[in-house]
Amino acid sequence: MTLPLVVATTVVAGVLTLLGLASTLAGRRIGLLHLSGAGLLEALLVLQAGIAAVAMAGGTTPADSPTFLGYLVGVLLVPVAGVLWARAEPSRWAGTVIAVAAATAGVMVWRLLQLWEATGA
Amino acid sequence: MPDRSALGPAAEPAGATPGGPVRVLVLLYGIFALAAGARATVQLSTRFAEAPTAYLLSALAAAVYVVATVGLVRGGRGGRWTALVAITVELVGVLVVGTLSLVDPDAFPDETVWSGYGRGYFYVPLVLPVLGLLTLRRRGTAR
Repeated sequence: MTLPLVVATTVVAGVLTLLGLASTLAGRRIGLLHLSGAGLLEALLVLQAGIAAVAMAGGTTPADSPTFLGYLVGVLLVPVAGVLWARAEPSRWAGTVIAVAAATAGVMVWRLLQLWEATGA
Repeated sequence: MPDRSALGPAAEPAGATPGGPVRVLVLLYGIFALAAGARATVQLSTRFAEAPTAYLLSALAAAVYVVATVGLVRGGRGGRWTALVAITVELVGVLVVGTLSLVDPDAFPDETVWSGYGRGYFYVPLVLPVLGLLTLRRRGTAR
């Protein structure tokens, strides 16, 4: 749960949001760019979950563990759900679906960082 | 234009598949139903006594989002009516709770989804019902 990782995740999520909106504006569905972006985003989130799991196994637990774990696991589902939903969407709004999912993930990682820094003490 | 094709194949023309914007709305409402529901569950189950009003409001907000989501997914006349009522309640709720939380912060010791007009959620709770009502209105007159 480090700041650099959260920043990197936010950048990827932000780019993916813009790409999604670009598709909607261009009247297109989603393409390879979106899938790669979502894949990269998911990889960063899995890395983050791994780091958090290792730290928690080592005894560092945030004050509000249930909420933290909820976000940690929940955020992993967001890009996956976004991609599945967007691929099933035949209209130009597919990109907006990806954009919403990416923006959600981008916000959630900051909330995760906030929860993590409130270490139980 | 190769950079454009990377954005995906051409979408079906507008009107061919009605309801794209509604499905985006469903996604947004679904996210908020989950977020508010999870938050209310954690708040109510772990520290209800600290701020019962705020936590019950969280639960109410979650319920309203769930009803709106279900109404939007079901569609049709009934679904639209359900969504319309839920979204109106939501708009009134976010305005009333937002105002109260600023006027009388002591009554809200902990944040709810609607505190400060949804500032904890980038004001999405304030914008969402307006978008929802506009979309429903457009869809309503289009039929």
